[in-house]
Amino acid sequence: MMTIEKLKAFGANTEEGLGRCMNNEAFYFRLIGMAAKDPNFEKLEIAVVMEELDDAFEAAHALKGVLGNLALTPLFTPANEMCELLRSRTETDYGPLMEQLMQAKAQLEALLAE
Amino acid sequence: MLKSHEKYYSEFGKRQVLVVDDEVINREMLGFMLASDYVVLYAEDGEDALQKIRENSHTLSLVLLDLMMPKLDGFQLMEILRTDPELEHIPYIVLTSERSAEVASLRSGASDFIAKPFEQPEVILARIQRTIELAEDKDIIQNTERDPLTSLFNREFFYRYVEQYDMHHPAKKMDAVALNINHFHLLNELYGWDYGDHVLSAIGNKVRELMAENGGIAGRMDADSFLLYYPSGADYDSIRDMLGRGLLEGKATNSNKVKVRIGIYPNVDRDVKIERRFDRAKQAADTIRSSYTKFVAYYDNSLREKELMEESLIESLDTAVAERQFRIFYQPKYDITGEKPVLCSAEALVRWNHPEFGMVSPGVFIPLFEDKGLIQKVDRFVWEEAAAQICAWREKFGITLPVSVNVSRIDVYAPDFVSNFKNLMTKYQLKPQDYYLEITESAYTEDSEQLLAVVGQLREEGFSVEMDDFGSGYSSLNMISTLPIDALKLDMNFIRNMHRKESKNNRIIELMIDIARYLEVPVVAEGVETQDQVDLLRSMGCHVVQGYYFSKPVSAEEFEGFIKELLE
Repeated sequence: MMTIEKLKAFGANTEEGLGRCMNNEAFYFRLIGMAAKDPNFEKLEIAVVMEELDDAFEAAHALKGVLGNLALTPLFTPANEMCELLRSRTETDYGPLMEQLMQAKAQLEALLAE
Repeated sequence: MLKSHEKYYSEFGKRQVLVVDDEVINREMLGFMLASDYVVLYAEDGEDALQKIRENSHTLSLVLLDLMMPKLDGFQLMEILRTDPELEHIPYIVLTSERSAEVASLRSGASDFIAKPFEQPEVILARIQRTIELAEDKDIIQNTERDPLTSLFNREFFYRYVEQYDMHHPAKKMDAVALNINHFHLLNELYGWDYGDHVLSAIGNKVRELMAENGGIAGRMDADSFLLYYPSGADYDSIRDMLGRGLLEGKATNSNKVKVRIGIYPNVDRDVKIERRFDRAKQAADTIRSSYTKFVAYYDNSLREKELMEESLIESLDTAVAERQFRIFYQPKYDITGEKPVLCSAEALVRWNHPEFGMVSPGVFIPLFEDKGLIQKVDRFVWEEAAAQICAWREKFGITLPVSVNVSRIDVYAPDFVSNFKNLMTKYQLKPQDYYLEITESAYTEDSEQLLAVVGQLREEGFSVEMDDFGSGYSSLNMISTLPIDALKLDMNFIRNMHRKESKNNRIIELMIDIARYLEVPVVAEGVETQDQVDLLRSMGCHVVQGYYFSKPVSAEEFEGFIKELLE
């Protein structure tokens, strides 16, 4: 079962995230569950591969907002970095950042599955 | 929270807020923060948001708006909210993770912004509450200051804002402008009040456009009366054209009937009191009130002279009464029911022998004093003089000749109106039957309830009340049938237009005499100038006539000749 301690150990800023959820843990965990299934992860992955930077920016921007609000720092950090690069449509290798993001997502999913 | 803000609560006792964000997690998170204080609606894109805003435009207290959204983005939605008159009152706060978008949002009319990731709930709630209260305060202030139909300033605030404008623009040349609609009451009568309101609101919109373009202050006083404080140098003919255009679209077959007229006091003298400046503009507009060709008029020297003369008349009124500058003239009234006309009464008419201006026409000072609420002073003087005169003639000739006096509409509001007449009767030992009161027809239609009550009291006391100028007003037949009156006095214009031959005018006179017969009251005709008129009136069944045919109004001394004639 998901706990605040586990999230904290994962690297989330639970104080902030939980605070935004009026300190309601169940509600916080429910939103985190929804975030893990956010279709923008897939949209971002495909767009990066296809080098469709406009779509990639949209997806990264959306993820940045959601992950930031939930204070899921390990996911937020790469998403934010990608978003800033994509904002100016920087042509660079997004692979490492994408990998970092997806690894963090996998860890979160594992936590959620426990 | 202020009690006055309660009207902004929805039916659940909370204000209503719309959260617009394409990310469900952000929507839910904000909604969760707000749910205990607000009724929260949600929209997942710009189009969805616009539809919900329109559906709830009267109950929505705030929109929380994400910028990047599919279909219609936040900036496009803000543009609609800012410019649609139905929606412009709803405040909105932008949700953004972009620092660069913050200023742009404020410039687009956002009241505030909330950064993403969100701050802690108490901060967000405080910002939301503050934004809503500011918007509501603004709304309350607007409702206090503005006329609800046109959103222009109401009378009180119009003058106050003109004063402020002067302070901020001490050297700017400004015009005081009065704007009216010719024959506005016709518009209401022909098409209904709703349509009249529609026209006023359309003019209001055009006036606001003018102000937005060129600056100035605009207000609506009452009915169709608008005032503008407008930068000098404008082309008022084209402004008038612009304001009047399309007013009667799809309505009038004869669009000549409704026209905007404008009176201007140009380049106002800042030493002249603000209300006085607009009085001048109104005076100018009044000079073209019934013109069908001239619609723009300026306050000029001739009006200035008229104004000065009026001021001087007003100032000298008390002295005039005290020094008996007002003189009463009497016009004889003759009973024509018999073969030979017989003197039966007189009408008391006032003249003013002014030490500076000479004889001032009652046509000048009576409307002026009526307008300024001063006519009572003149009327009361006349009433007393007339009573004293009846008494004096009775002592001198041994007969009581009734005299009629004029009563102004405003007189009936005096609390001692009826008792004043009773006192006069006691003082001069007269019977109320010897004293007639003439009240003009239009007074009955303007405020019939108060008037009818007072007239009823007078008649109970035994006074005779004549309806003056009958046919000139707009009495309904229904009203006439219930009127408490003792005589109908035909409007002079009907007599002037009488012909020997059959005519519409003659038939109308017959009709009015028929009405009098139905009411069982005598008919008095004034303005009679010829033998033909007397004969015709007699044949129609008119009872009493007065006019130059018998005599113009004369002094009391001269009038004694008629009494002597009667006694012989």
